[in-house]
Amino acid sequence: MSSAKPTVTERAETTQQAPDARSRRDDIRRFFPILLLLVLVAVFSFASPRFLQFNNLMIVAQQAVVLLVAALGMTFVIIAGSIDLSVGAIVALAALVAAATSASLGIYAIVPACLVGAAAGLVNGVVVAKGKVPSFIVTLGAMVVYRGIVLFFTRGAPISIDDERFLDLYSGRTAGIPHSVLIAILLIAIAAVMLNLTVFGREVRAVGGGERIALLTGIRVDRVKIAIFVLSGLMCGMAGLLQGARAMAATAQLGEGLELDAIAAVVVGGTPLTGGVGSIQGTILGALIITILSNGMNIVGLDPYFQNIVKGLVLVLSVFVTIDRKKIGIIK
Amino acid sequence: MKIVATDIARSFGSTRALSGVSITLEPGRVHALVGENGAGKSTLLKILAGAERSDAGSIAIDGRAYAPRSLAEATALGVRLVFQEITINPSLSIAENVFSGQLARFRKRGLLNQAAMNRAAQALLDTLAVDVSVAQPLARLDLGQWKCIEVARALSTEPRAVLFDESTAFLNHREADQLLAAMRALGDRGLVVAFVSHHLAEIDAVADQLTILKDGRKVGDFTAGELDREGIQSRMVGRDLSRGLYPPRPATRASGEPMLRFSNVAADGLEPTSLSVAPGEILGIAGLKGAGGERILEVAAGVVRPRGGSITVGGAPLAAKTPAEGWAARIAYLPGERTTEGLIVDASVLDNLVMAKPPRRGPFFDRAKARAMAQAMIARLLIKASSEKARSGSLSGGNLQKVVLGKCLAIDPRVLLLNNPTRGVDVGARTEIYRSLREAAKEGLSIVMVSEDLNELIGLSDRILVMREKRIAASIDDPAATSEDAIIRHMT
Repeated sequence: MSSAKPTVTERAETTQQAPDARSRRDDIRRFFPILLLLVLVAVFSFASPRFLQFNNLMIVAQQAVVLLVAALGMTFVIIAGSIDLSVGAIVALAALVAAATSASLGIYAIVPACLVGAAAGLVNGVVVAKGKVPSFIVTLGAMVVYRGIVLFFTRGAPISIDDERFLDLYSGRTAGIPHSVLIAILLIAIAAVMLNLTVFGREVRAVGGGERIALLTGIRVDRVKIAIFVLSGLMCGMAGLLQGARAMAATAQLGEGLELDAIAAVVVGGTPLTGGVGSIQGTILGALIITILSNGMNIVGLDPYFQNIVKGLVLVLSVFVTIDRKKIGIIK
Repeated sequence: MKIVATDIARSFGSTRALSGVSITLEPGRVHALVGENGAGKSTLLKILAGAERSDAGSIAIDGRAYAPRSLAEATALGVRLVFQEITINPSLSIAENVFSGQLARFRKRGLLNQAAMNRAAQALLDTLAVDVSVAQPLARLDLGQWKCIEVARALSTEPRAVLFDESTAFLNHREADQLLAAMRALGDRGLVVAFVSHHLAEIDAVADQLTILKDGRKVGDFTAGELDREGIQSRMVGRDLSRGLYPPRPATRASGEPMLRFSNVAADGLEPTSLSVAPGEILGIAGLKGAGGERILEVAAGVVRPRGGSITVGGAPLAAKTPAEGWAARIAYLPGERTTEGLIVDASVLDNLVMAKPPRRGPFFDRAKARAMAQAMIARLLIKASSEKARSGSLSGGNLQKVVLGKCLAIDPRVLLLNNPTRGVDVGARTEIYRSLREAAKEGLSIVMVSEDLNELIGLSDRILVMREKRIAASIDDPAATSEDAIIRHMT
């Protein structure tokens, strides 16, 4: 018997919604992330006058950068229907490489940092695409391995970065604006162009929307999958460099848990884990929401032991509101 | 039991699915609800079964008012629905599937009494006259037998009416026959039996009574034999189809150097096979599932790698190792499962139409050109969509299939491979698809079409190959002079 049992996703006309009710719900879905962000800003600036000061906003932006850059790569991975759990470990690996080479290469330590990030992503992508192992498993293992490499070489001790020009370029400020924020804006622009205006971006959506359909339509699914993991690794290379510059050191614990924050940023921004759809704008909002939530709760002086509870609830709440249940069908 | 529904109406938003439809279902008669996609036949059936509520009108069973609010309530009152979709859980046993939701009946001291449950399930299956043993693993059975297990599940609550919502949609000939026989058996036992279909052969085979619907209104009630096939079809479509479903064949037979040629091509599921298709020729391939027809398409498309032999396309050797290589050689492939292989339902019509070969300027997607391409294809294939930006999932089955066909034609292919191009597509959309295919062939496109619909093979093909047991059993050079029976004889 053939293995392809029909799965029916064609919707009979009879289950369609009235167009007005549908579009209203679509509007709520679409605008919820920005609404949530505005509400958070309003609440925190009301609770503390310090929140809206230029200095604090720049701190927020700086804090958001590493998460945001990692989440940009994650957006492609998730839209293609995969997941990358090795993000935090790659960031640590890249920061280590940047720290180790900054003394001799100075600002050009960016090259080995990005190369290592891309290579780590390439390994992930090849095992997923050619080895046909689910990305969750591959990157779960990779997370442990990459973190292990960092621990092996550092022996747990931090490696400091002293090169002035390196620190100046990657964590200095021009006219009060941190360079890392400017770099992040450049990366956002590149990611948005790739996702929205290139053929590659369409192929990523097609692979996530229906892998078998994409394959049978002549899309080189393997190449697309490898490319998104390389892209994610490359972004992590940049994120590691920026994080190292900001901390003036690479530590073995750097970026721990970042993968979960990056996934949360993508999802809170309205990109479903089921793949096929998603946006860079959403990811920017998601990363800002997560960062502002932490920053604001600190400024307001909320019990640090209570903060995680709030973060978790906000994550589930925003997915509860933004998820399009009609398109997903089965919730696992 | 006699079910009388009067003046049933139902709207979904601004769409009127049903208006003022009345119907009487008599015990012991098999009643067909006939109509094109969107005619309202499934909605009517679902209202009778409690899966949908009506906005207006009333239903009575044996004179007593009946207004079920759920499937469960209808079940309690003796009315059961068999769905269009397959609802068998393949990781459970046959008996567990039959009694899904009622396993508590077989509880004995807190444990499940497997033996008693199996005996009861077997008894139900036996009344359907299907050859299924509860000891068999589900994976060994075909979809028709799965569907019969669903019928047994319906019978497990001892209903007096069983309603079938287009339940043969995913079955092939042989499988559908089993289900139709089961319907007949239920009718003969005095149950009320109603089914939704747009397959004239099924209606011919089992219906005693038929009600034709069109655009949510009743066209009329008829007894079997009162209308011939053409009479039914033209009432379904609302226009005269006497000039035929199929476009005329060209006066001269397509000739010239073969566009696609197989020389002793073998693969898993295909014995060494040789065939050739001329430019402008439509080659039909008949055969049961697994007989090798689908495998020929998959090898030509690069989905399955051949084990031996050689393939040429346009005279040059080509063995596509991946679908991407096939498409790059301008071999377009329309797979058999529309929504899991053919197109992405959540993507827009435009996204699907240009997916195989997105227009580009360097690395960038050329949006303006894509829009023009999509609009041209929508006009060429008469795709009914609000715009090229509409979500594909909002289209009806026939229009979805036109989108898949449009995706294939958009690359300007040399060879078009079709796997059951009109499965689940209503008559109106079918004629348009056939016309488009013939027009493309006239431009020189070579088409290979595998189909379970023998009428379609006879009506459209220039030549038919019949597959049996992984090899070509017969080649029919003049389809106009052959019959369904002749093809079936070669198939089995």
